[in-house]
Amino acid sequence: MSRPVPALRLYRGLLCLYPAEFRDRFARDMCDAMADLLSDHPPATDILSAYFGVLIDALKEHYHVIRQDLVYALRSMRKEKLATAVAVVVLALGIGSTTAIFSLFNGMLLRPLPYPQQESLVYVEEFTPGGQLRGAVAYPNFLDFRERNRSLQDMAMFGSGLATLRGDAEAERIPAAGATGAIFRILGVAPLLGRVFDDADAAEKAAPVVVLGEDLWRRRYGADPGILGKSIVLGSTATQVIGVMPRGFHFPDRAQLWTPYQLSPLRNKRTDHGIEAIARLRPGASAEQAQTDLRAIMEQITREHPTETYRQTVNVVPYRERNTRQIEPVLFTLLGAVAFVLLIACANIVNLLLVRASARSREIAVRGALGASRSRLVRQFLVESALLGGAGTLGGILFAWGAVPALLSLAPANLLPNWMSFTPNLVMLGFVAAVSVATVLVVGVAPALSSSRLNIVETLKEGGRSNTAGSARAWFRSSLVIAEVALSVLLLAGAGMMVRTFWNLSAQGASYRGQDVITFQTSAPGNRYPNGPAARELVASARREFASVPGVLSVAGSTFVPLLDGWGRSFTAENGPQLSLKDAPLINHVVVTPGYFRTLGLPLVEGRDFDEHDAKDPLVTIVDEGIAKRYWPGQSAIGKRVRYGPPEDNEPWHTVIGVVPVERNQNLRELRRNSVYLPHGEFGFSSVGYLIRTAPGLADPMPALRAKLAAIDKSIAISRVITLKEVVNTVVWQERFFATVFVGFGALALVLALVGLYGVMSYAVSRRRHEMGIRLALGATAGEIRRMILLQSGRLVAAGLVLGTVGAVFLTRVLETQLYGVRPGDPATLAAVAALLAAAALIASYAPARKATRVDPMLALRDE
Amino acid sequence: MDPRDLLPLHKDTFHILVALADRDRHGYSILQDIAARTDGRTKLRPSSLYSAIHRMLEDGLIEELDERPDPAHDDERRRYYRLTAFGRDVAVAEARRLEQLLADARATGLVPKRSTR
Repeated sequence: MSRPVPALRLYRGLLCLYPAEFRDRFARDMCDAMADLLSDHPPATDILSAYFGVLIDALKEHYHVIRQDLVYALRSMRKEKLATAVAVVVLALGIGSTTAIFSLFNGMLLRPLPYPQQESLVYVEEFTPGGQLRGAVAYPNFLDFRERNRSLQDMAMFGSGLATLRGDAEAERIPAAGATGAIFRILGVAPLLGRVFDDADAAEKAAPVVVLGEDLWRRRYGADPGILGKSIVLGSTATQVIGVMPRGFHFPDRAQLWTPYQLSPLRNKRTDHGIEAIARLRPGASAEQAQTDLRAIMEQITREHPTETYRQTVNVVPYRERNTRQIEPVLFTLLGAVAFVLLIACANIVNLLLVRASARSREIAVRGALGASRSRLVRQFLVESALLGGAGTLGGILFAWGAVPALLSLAPANLLPNWMSFTPNLVMLGFVAAVSVATVLVVGVAPALSSSRLNIVETLKEGGRSNTAGSARAWFRSSLVIAEVALSVLLLAGAGMMVRTFWNLSAQGASYRGQDVITFQTSAPGNRYPNGPAARELVASARREFASVPGVLSVAGSTFVPLLDGWGRSFTAENGPQLSLKDAPLINHVVVTPGYFRTLGLPLVEGRDFDEHDAKDPLVTIVDEGIAKRYWPGQSAIGKRVRYGPPEDNEPWHTVIGVVPVERNQNLRELRRNSVYLPHGEFGFSSVGYLIRTAPGLADPMPALRAKLAAIDKSIAISRVITLKEVVNTVVWQERFFATVFVGFGALALVLALVGLYGVMSYAVSRRRHEMGIRLALGATAGEIRRMILLQSGRLVAAGLVLGTVGAVFLTRVLETQLYGVRPGDPATLAAVAALLAAAALIASYAPARKATRVDPMLALRDE
Repeated sequence: MDPRDLLPLHKDTFHILVALADRDRHGYSILQDIAARTDGRTKLRPSSLYSAIHRMLEDGLIEELDERPDPAHDDERRRYYRLTAFGRDVAVAEARRLEQLLADARATGLVPKRSTR
């Protein structure tokens, strides 16, 4: 070799860019050629070209190598089409379900809210630990918070509901929101047209104004550029349009128009909690600091107004939690569950690739003997798993694309606020890429390392079978199957418990679900039907007209739909303990017309239903059994007197004339409040809801009912048409969602574990063909062989079941808050899961066991 | 394999085959031969040369010989390469292909016919 010249040393250094194998083979010759070239003193351009050429040609070599790896990988994948297809499908399911769940997680919890600097928006609520009070703030308390706090920049109150638009087109109920003047300042979103309302518009005698949403402006008003200043009829009030908000703004959830709240401490008392509050933190303040601040203020208020407070405290949380706090634990649990599914899928692929590596060990040994370096072999395997991973990721994305809308459809339509978006964004794509790469590495590394560590000489000598590396590998594969079985037990146990929860909860609502009752809300113009005789007559006519529709069995009016709404008020029984406001229980206060109980199928336990004469004199009420038993145990409740509201208000006494069974209201899980009922005649509200019981099998009665109502008065709007069956479904949507997803995951896990078990057993049988042949030749029966194989598989499954069951006892505690009627670690569920898995495993192992008995002893012995 | 399966050859490959047709050579000798034969029009870099050699070894067009002393370079050892029989067939096939192309061009008058000496 010529003396190394600095130029040559540089050249040799550049050769490090080449792939290792190329370098090992040609580096010396290239240096020799370069030395010879330099010794001829060529022109500078030639020398430069020689140096730069290394960069280009090294890249080309790398490309060449990868292309070879790809071609080789594709060829071996084509040779085993079934195994490859299974692997891709398994990966697609694992990656796809993980992506789908993360997509929900991303859309609900990670994506920023569509308001500027949304991190400093907080939600303020008064809160009693018993859960009777939450999600609202009383107006006088709000004023005190706003005045005395040191951590908030500004505060506003808001509420959502439905507004009735009247006028040129037909009456329409639109999702709407009201708020105090500071709301738009706090949210920081500028209007598309005109202006937003402020404190001046929220003052006592200010003229009514409204801000429209862009969608509403386009749809109902044809994007009229002269809309500003025009007057529209909201409810029964002429209201001036002052601005239009841009598309995508629907604060708080789905609103399409906004009006200012005109609140006053006289009307909105310290004991009324029907409106929510939002605030913006001062720069540098945190939600925790604001919470401490407001809690101190709440304590002051409690001291200053002891008869007007419930011993409540204050929560200040990031505004996003208002919508997500219910769903957050659900999502985290789902993420955990889907991670298990992905792990099982990966374990399956690893098993598959290890089988393939085993089957190809001869070929690998030959390649090693021919000079392929270990890193080259490892890279080959990684390329193969990258191909599988890439195909699996594509399949997974397709799966997620379909799965996300399907999952979202399990949630009620009006649950998710409009600002939640589930379209892919950078975070999503980053997640998919990360999961994909991680999967490829996890799945590719084990087979790659184990194959590259092959003892070449041994393998070639023994024809590629039964070497020590092989048995270590077999042990590893068995433990993978055990892990898969264990994880499946976990998922199936979770699924079993969620399904039972759903069933138990649904059973609670069975009395509602079993009935054909349809409900809807009405909204009559207040100026024509003020509360009183006109309204009473309207409701009475409506009931008569509805009852005349063929197929209608029973009609009633009510202020609230069971399970969906309620009005909590405090309650005092005459001659009972005179409790202060904070100790008085809250009851569910419903105003109904005669026929309510009959329509809902609630038989009277005692006394009578309201009739058409019950109004203001005498004042009567009906209570539920829970109240009757609690306050007048062992006696009849009939004739007892009760009253409502804060005791200091001295509301008039009502006499109990009837007792009805307890009705679950607001939710099915627990009875939070007992119910009391008052006759519609006492109040005469005009805008009530109606419940209509129809004959079974009747086609949609709504058109006929709408026609009847329109015949009475066209300007009465109908909204929220929903059957009681749908109400129950809405109320249990979370449990149904959970149960469905868990069952899906559990089934997936089961199938994957069985596939893994089948694969391992098949391979084990094929490796023991020689042994089977000898046994059969020595007189073993088919039954004995079968038992032997099933025992081998049984040991694996048993190990997995034990591990999984123990894990389930601990891990299902995570689900505790979601369960109903079943405890975590419930033995019956675990036993059922174990039995299911054992049975399925038996079936999966049967085919390989039978194959073992089909070995021809002569062939097996000869096959060496 | 049929020699014609590898056609058309990359021009570097053909040059190298031609260089090895009359005798065994080492890397730099091939470069020199090609430069000389083409009057400096084609000057391969060492890196391009060895990329091509790598391919040609894989395809069986040439074979590696043991290192031998090179008198032209103080008898320092260099690795020599030799054309295989298959390589020779491929080179001939490529030459024939080029000849045919040239004949086609001559036939249509695109290129003047060879003048007889």
